[in-house]
Amino acid sequence: MSAPVSRRPDPVSRLGAGGLGGVRAGVELWLVLIGTIAGIVRMFRRGAARPKGAIVEQMWVIGNRSLLFVAVTLGFIGMVMIYQACLQFSRAIGDLSQVGTQFIRLIVSDFGPTLTAMMLATRVGAGIAAEIGSMKVTEQVDALRMSGVLPIDYLLVPRFLASVVMTVALAIVGAAIMYAAGGLTAYLSFGVNPRIFYDLQMVEGKHLILGLLKAVSYGAAIPVVSGFCGLRARGSSEGVGWATTAAVVGSSFAVIALDFALSVGALWLLGGDL
Amino acid sequence: MLGERSITSLGARAVAVSRELGGITILFAQVLRALVPPRLDGRELVRNLYKMGNRSVPIVALTAFFAGGLMVVQSAPFVKRLDATSLAGWAAGYAVLREIGPILIALMFSGRVGANNTAELGTMTVTEQLDGLRALAIDPIRYLIVPRVLAMLIMLVCLTVIGDLVALIGAAVVAKAVLGIEWGIMYASFTENLKPHDFLHGVYKSMAFGTAIAVTSCYFGVTVRGGAVGVGRAVNAAVVAAAVSIMLLDFFLTYVNA
Repeated sequence: MSAPVSRRPDPVSRLGAGGLGGVRAGVELWLVLIGTIAGIVRMFRRGAARPKGAIVEQMWVIGNRSLLFVAVTLGFIGMVMIYQACLQFSRAIGDLSQVGTQFIRLIVSDFGPTLTAMMLATRVGAGIAAEIGSMKVTEQVDALRMSGVLPIDYLLVPRFLASVVMTVALAIVGAAIMYAAGGLTAYLSFGVNPRIFYDLQMVEGKHLILGLLKAVSYGAAIPVVSGFCGLRARGSSEGVGWATTAAVVGSSFAVIALDFALSVGALWLLGGDL
Repeated sequence: MLGERSITSLGARAVAVSRELGGITILFAQVLRALVPPRLDGRELVRNLYKMGNRSVPIVALTAFFAGGLMVVQSAPFVKRLDATSLAGWAAGYAVLREIGPILIALMFSGRVGANNTAELGTMTVTEQLDGLRALAIDPIRYLIVPRVLAMLIMLVCLTVIGDLVALIGAAVVAKAVLGIEWGIMYASFTENLKPHDFLHGVYKSMAFGTAIAVTSCYFGVTVRGGAVGVGRAVNAAVVAAAVSIMLLDFFLTYVNA
């Protein structure tokens, strides 16, 4: 007697299939990252094929067109954070003179780049995946490959370079807006003197280096993860939708995981002096 | 002239934003109207609850774990300088329960469930399945939209509760691993300094976030134009709109409910 054929596979094989799928996706993601780096090297050595002015155009799309979005969201979250912090400090310690100095330290070394990148992961990540995914399902990516152009060189390298530059720039703008909005809230709601709030004595070079390092790594991670999701799109409009979803989740998660890794690394290297 | 052109584009943008805001408001009103005698497809609701809630638990738990750990790492220099280990749980727990937990979980939920919902409804719209439903005299609002809105609202609240717990566990694990703070001290720090009000503050917020994500994602889904490219663009617009509304709602709720 043969065993009954079940339509649903048993848990063990489902787990195995999931694991295999995860490993395969990891390998592909790694290949996209390596391909992008190789594409940059090729571009600098002999000017690889890419549309004219692509980097500038992508910088405009990724950077300038996200400016309002980043400014609005980071401004509001800066106000909320200072409001909650002042509320708590005034209950527990009763002294609000430390709030500003601690806030700018946290903004420079963490919140500025990380929250900017979270916002960019939704906007830019979804955009890159939707664009590349649409090209994939309408077979434009295959057409590129047929004409002897590597799709990663042509599509992903300009986005990668533009995203690295623009994430750093937007992180600086976002951090400044967050700081300004926070100081305004502290002044209007809790009467904290702006001269005491806007005090940069806690910020040192290492905070700045950590913040910039974070911004650069998020700026690199977002286009690689979203490009990978876009290039995996299958089917038609449904596949593009799936790819976009996966890009938003994947790049947001990459930002959080990188933030965690870099923060723990910095804490471990510098100890309590951070 | 540059000035004239930029004013024109500013005006066009303002009109486009107003049109979308109006569309979202009308859709929200239609959903509320459909709920008045609560007649909705129960099987569709259960299917959406499972798909949107249960399947999101892993990514939400992972995000929350890292978020809780991050808050401890960020407060570590302050805690070490003051040598006040009992403050670590207070700082991390307060930040997680009131702000970081609900916001990060809502952003992840918007990316996973909201975007997926837009893609699904968008695909149905471009393949004219919504018109098919209307031709069969089935109201798409009642059949498709209302179960999704309810499912997202309920499930975001549940996921935030789970996520808060996981984030506090993550904070305790990282505190033990990185700062060497014992479990008992962390537990005491949580229980002494965190009030039920802090937890409820986050839960109220997640209700508002869930409604906002649901209505915006459905709106951008049913108004898709133009095939596969249009679906991609709609998903992009939906996640951006959801992120902005999460931040704005967070701001207003913090002031109202502080």
